[in-house]
Amino acid sequence: MSRSYLFIPGNTPSMIQNLDVFDSDAIIIDFEDSVNTFDKDSARILIKNFLTKYSYDEVDIYIRINSTDSTDFYSDVNETNDLDITGYVLPKASVEAIKQLNRITDKSIIPIIESPLSLLKTEDICKQKNVVALLFGAEDYTKELGIKRSLEAKEILYARSIIAITANAYNIDAIDTPYTLKEDDKGLFIDAVNARNLGFTSKSSIHPNQVVIINKVFSPSLEEITEAKRIIKKSEETKKGAFSLDGKMIDLPIIEKAKKVLEKAKKYNL
Amino acid sequence: MKTTAGSLESSDCLITISSSDNLKITIESVVFEQFGDQIKEVIINTLKENNIENINVVCLDKGALDYTIKSRLETAIKRMGERNE
Amino acid sequence: MGMKNNNKIKVIKSIDELFTLEDISLNKNISFHHHLRNGDYVVNYVLDKYKKENIRGINLFPSAIFPSYTSILDLIKNNQINNITTNYLNGPVAEYITHNGIPGMLKMQTHGGRARAIIEGKNIIDIAFIAVPYVNHQGDAVGYLGKNKCGSLGYAIPDSIYAKIKVLVTDNLVDTSISNPEIHGENIDYILLVDKIGDKYGIVSGTTEITKNPIGIKIAKNTSLLLNELGLIKEGFSFQSGAGGVSLRVTKDVKDIMINKNIKASFLSGGITKYHVEMLEEGLVDKLYDVQCFDLEAIESLNKNKMHIPISSSRYANPSNKNQIIKDLDIVILGATEIDYNFNVNVTTDSHQTIIGGSGGHSDTASEAKVCVIVSPLIKGRIPIVKKRVTTITTLGKNIDCLVTERGIAVNPLRKDLIMKLKNTNLKIYTIEELANIAYHFTNIPKDIVKRDKIIGEIEDRTYEIIDYIYQK
Repeated sequence: MSRSYLFIPGNTPSMIQNLDVFDSDAIIIDFEDSVNTFDKDSARILIKNFLTKYSYDEVDIYIRINSTDSTDFYSDVNETNDLDITGYVLPKASVEAIKQLNRITDKSIIPIIESPLSLLKTEDICKQKNVVALLFGAEDYTKELGIKRSLEAKEILYARSIIAITANAYNIDAIDTPYTLKEDDKGLFIDAVNARNLGFTSKSSIHPNQVVIINKVFSPSLEEITEAKRIIKKSEETKKGAFSLDGKMIDLPIIEKAKKVLEKAKKYNL
Repeated sequence: MKTTAGSLESSDCLITISSSDNLKITIESVVFEQFGDQIKEVIINTLKENNIENINVVCLDKGALDYTIKSRLETAIKRMGERNE
Repeated sequence: MGMKNNNKIKVIKSIDELFTLEDISLNKNISFHHHLRNGDYVVNYVLDKYKKENIRGINLFPSAIFPSYTSILDLIKNNQINNITTNYLNGPVAEYITHNGIPGMLKMQTHGGRARAIIEGKNIIDIAFIAVPYVNHQGDAVGYLGKNKCGSLGYAIPDSIYAKIKVLVTDNLVDTSISNPEIHGENIDYILLVDKIGDKYGIVSGTTEITKNPIGIKIAKNTSLLLNELGLIKEGFSFQSGAGGVSLRVTKDVKDIMINKNIKASFLSGGITKYHVEMLEEGLVDKLYDVQCFDLEAIESLNKNKMHIPISSSRYANPSNKNQIIKDLDIVILGATEIDYNFNVNVTTDSHQTIIGGSGGHSDTASEAKVCVIVSPLIKGRIPIVKKRVTTITTLGKNIDCLVTERGIAVNPLRKDLIMKLKNTNLKIYTIEELANIAYHFTNIPKDIVKRDKIIGEIEDRTYEIIDYIYQK
């Protein structure tokens, strides 16, 4: 349900203790790329103590652990599994890696699709236990393909489409890759709209200043909310499983989607 | 042999520990007047929890909250333990 | 009160000359303005002579003291200073006084209060040294021309009329006539020629950039939403904000709302920056009332935009002045080092009891504006800005209406009208004590370190009431 997922470096106290200030629906505390190799232990202890002392009801907290082929993988999970977090974001995700993770935790999993091989296995990944969303990692994906990223983003169109479509088919969220140009609000807005138009439900970001725009783009619009209200109202009135509204057929899946829109609207005060 | 953890970034602290035959705690903080005693208490409690009585602790603090001071000290202790293995 | 000068103005070439023409030992109350900011050369040039001549018992009336005014520190250390009366001080002088005091009193006034006191004869100034970037032989001067231009000379104007002896200090004496001078020559006694009145880069160092810090951005966003919800951003409204990074961001966010709603403001007042000038030139506001310029763009705008109007500190904020501009001010956005449970605000000392500022226009604008909003992070370097009692009261709580932080907003219980308007808001509204507790939840309660043994200064409000004291640390 989260519209925004903000990465926060896991060993930086000034960011950690403000994680709820940035108005992101979800936070991804990062143990991977933003933490030095020699400080991985430091991050684990910092987060363990922080989340033991402070709890957050309004924000979904995930931890991006190190990949299964790193020496930190087991410690990352074992030292945080008892904390009040929603789940783990798994880099370099593969079916096997997700299985490994499921063996040591029962928390929600957000695999990062960041390689051509994992992209080809998107459907199998969706089928794994505890997978609640897919996160697209375009940086590593394009690096592996040996191609350059552009603002237009044509080179990742196919990857984005597969991820959005597959996630939707398996009824989980699709989280778009971060927009890496800092202080470019116009470009961010266009990029986020493009992702939404492909069916992404959310977008991740690496800078707190991007959250407001992302939330705006991925919130249901006033029209969508009004339409959803009409659908729910009519479904309560007719008491039939399927009915017609404005000449269109409204059946159960559309009613369920309308309910979700209103849930989102309520949660985010729209 | 000194072991460190943390940093001098804002809201963090740099903890340096070394073995000693008595307990010595040195604190330098940007908020020493307001929180010096509190920082010392956190350090003492953390040492107690880890069953350490005699040790030399130097804390260079840049306004770290209690959980950070505790964490950096615990990390230094863990690293010292690993070094001694 | 100063006397109109019917004699011709004497042009002198050094401060030494003045010392031969006037009995300096009978005229110990001397004043300066701070419009050249940290690029000022005049204060040090003049006071170095006072130091050399060992003049003692000096009463200084600078409108503000910047870090570069080191001659003041020399005089204090030499025990040549008696009292200092000012609106703002920062840097080595402020730090020294914090720890040592001065033989006399450090009296802190407001910008409007200083003007009032000079006009009404409470601040008696014997010699006013007035740096001017551009002056003619008639003694008419402006601040927005000349190689070391500084913009509006607002704080110098009362001194230029009411001081006993008025000395204009310039590096640019011209022969042209000046229409609409800020300083009128009929009041002036001397023009003192120097090589340079200041360093132009130090002069225009006033503005910071709009903040990019995510916490500052959030505070600004919540402030503009609050102002909008209170119905304050409407056609013809007036607005003032400081030159700090967060205040400028608030100005930007308010500007965006104005563009969205097609609203034009009647005036912006106070310290003027390029951002305010942009709004004037984009047709978003009718007038700028300028008491000081913070950057080069503001200075140049004074020269070219008819609706960018320089005003004296009396016209700006003197409560006895019936044309006081800020009596029509709707909104003012201000900062704080501390705020207490009674909404008293401190901008004079920091949380380590060191003198770092002073009211300037803080108490003036808070007293007059319909709504006064304090913007600040809730916690700065582990110190919560909310406490039971501020170290120093700069502005009384009854004049402070709202506090906006990144974690929530507090509204003064005295403003039942504002609380009423926010009944159904989505903004996070707390009591001020609740905000304090939110901070303590993270920081723990800091030890109270404020020493109150020895008084070294007093905070005089624009009403002449002493509202607090400064104590030696």
